[in-house]
Amino acid sequence: MSIAKLENVHKVYHIGKIDFPALRGITFSVEEGEFLSIAGPSGSGKTTVLNLLGCLDKPSRGKIFLEDRDVTALATSKLADVRRKNIGFVFQTFNLIPVLTAMENVEFPLILAGLHDSKERRRLTEEILTEVGLKDFIHRRPNEMSGGQQQRVAVARALIKKPKLVLADEPTANLDSVTGEEILQLMLELNQKTSTTFVFSTHDKMVMDFARRIIRLRDGKIESDQKVSAK
Amino acid sequence: MKMLLKLAFRNVFRYRRRTVITFSAISYGLGLMALGICLYNGVNTHAMDSIINVQTAHIKILAPGYFEEKEEVPLEFTIAQPQRIKSLLKDNREIQGIESRILFQASIISGMDELPCLGVAIEPEVDPQVFDIKKSIKDGRFLESSESSIILGSTLAQDLGLEVGEDCVLRMFLSTEDFIWNALDLKIVGIAHTENPSVNRQTVFIPLSIAQEALSLDNRVTELAVRIEDRNRLSNVREYIQSRLANLDTEYEVVSFKEYASDFVELMKMRSRIQVLIPLMMILIATLGIVNTMLMAVLERTREIGMLAAMGMRKMEVMLVFVFEGAIIGLFGSLAACAIGGLGGWYLEAKGFSLSFLGDKITDMLSFLPMEVYRGDLTAGTLLFTLVLGIVVSILASLYPAYKAVKLDPIQALRHVG
Repeated sequence: MSIAKLENVHKVYHIGKIDFPALRGITFSVEEGEFLSIAGPSGSGKTTVLNLLGCLDKPSRGKIFLEDRDVTALATSKLADVRRKNIGFVFQTFNLIPVLTAMENVEFPLILAGLHDSKERRRLTEEILTEVGLKDFIHRRPNEMSGGQQQRVAVARALIKKPKLVLADEPTANLDSVTGEEILQLMLELNQKTSTTFVFSTHDKMVMDFARRIIRLRDGKIESDQKVSAK
Repeated sequence: MKMLLKLAFRNVFRYRRRTVITFSAISYGLGLMALGICLYNGVNTHAMDSIINVQTAHIKILAPGYFEEKEEVPLEFTIAQPQRIKSLLKDNREIQGIESRILFQASIISGMDELPCLGVAIEPEVDPQVFDIKKSIKDGRFLESSESSIILGSTLAQDLGLEVGEDCVLRMFLSTEDFIWNALDLKIVGIAHTENPSVNRQTVFIPLSIAQEALSLDNRVTELAVRIEDRNRLSNVREYIQSRLANLDTEYEVVSFKEYASDFVELMKMRSRIQVLIPLMMILIATLGIVNTMLMAVLERTREIGMLAAMGMRKMEVMLVFVFEGAIIGLFGSLAACAIGGLGGWYLEAKGFSLSFLGDKITDMLSFLPMEVYRGDLTAGTLLFTLVLGIVVSILASLYPAYKAVKLDPIQALRHVG
């Protein structure tokens, strides 16, 4: 089943008086449970694809579907609702809320989603933090954790509301190679265990090695789209 | 909502130094404003009390034409039958006392020195029902009827080096234009130190009968001073007096202290308009503090705002986080302002302060105020106003930075390098 689909998507950024085409007619669909990497050099359009899939941005042309629902023309507030319910984000710079503990950061999307039962929220949060290996760190604030631990919290935060789609923009770029590999391993395990669909962007060969499907972009176009068998 | 509040609360303490500076701006600004209001109210109330208790009583009954010339304290406009008027009004229970008085121009002579003064002839047995002169005797005693005695204002006595028990000469002007005067040898029986510096500096009190004889006024007086039970009933009692006097041959003037001391009332009104500027300035300080702090917060947390938007947080919710932050700083700042205003106001009310230590020049500049010690008047309303104002101003001042936060494009915000 298709989780997300881009149909002949174009994106043009207007920088001053210059039009900069970031995407030039991209078409592909993301199937449920995929562990998909969008790869390519800087400026190839990876982040733009992720922003469009994440309903953070709108295409200049073409259509975007989430579970067969056309979200191309949705109003900004509706897009916020779509993100709130269906999409989890993992950022390159972790982007945790510094004044909240690991527990509270992970709990936050549940509150936004309207889960009012605090006991249930706590149970779910503890469960997922245990799953990402941070059982003993739940009361720590971001500045009391290493980069790898923070990114684990970010992964837990992205997954807590059981989204259809988790988008990760260069999730290992700010981590050393060992920690980066651990995070990818964690994401892969969660993908296999929960069938959550992961789409992540990277230009790192090591990261691509974890992917089960790699879409390579160059100059805003798809250069190749290939399935990769597990190693 | 609880989570937004928690987030806002923790963010307030995230940048402690900046929060403390903003908090201080609000608490000192609004605290001083509360103190200012307290002092202004106190001065206003006490000034009126002082004027009523020492100079005007609540209502004055005057002969026709007197009021217009009152600054000259003329003896041409007199009330011929003060007893008749008193008896007409004696049944009204709202009237505490009515005193026949004569105000006249005079000067006091001691040896080679002579100083001009205002002479006030009073009925010693009635005066305490209407005025506070008896209470303000600091040396000696109060007057007794028909004795050739005098009470001097404390500053006047000091300026002339006169003390209780000494004699002095009172030159009483029957007509200043023709320079007709009479002089009396009087024994000083008391020194009055009222709360009104101008009374202390230039007023003397003598028994009415002595003055009537010396000024050749027979039983006539220049005014009847009326004290009433409840100041709020002033206009009712005044109307009553007017109606009771309507049947008399003479059309007496019945004026309230507000009219009699109209110059001072106008001055206070003008000051109250100026006084509005003080809260406005304080509000401006608080507003600038909050706007600056919150704008800095928006700038520093741009990427965080982008992340919150990416997570699906609605614009209103993002806005609320910043408004709550402003409101929290405002609430604590205003509470501290209430503490400053409350404690300072309590001190001002209980003890008051005098500016006499600054020297005569300053006290002379402030001599339009009928008091030496400035006392505050602290009310719950002032503190409540301070509290509500602080919170409302803080919330309003947070709106613009909060608006800036929600206007951020999530993608741009996430890319922001802070």
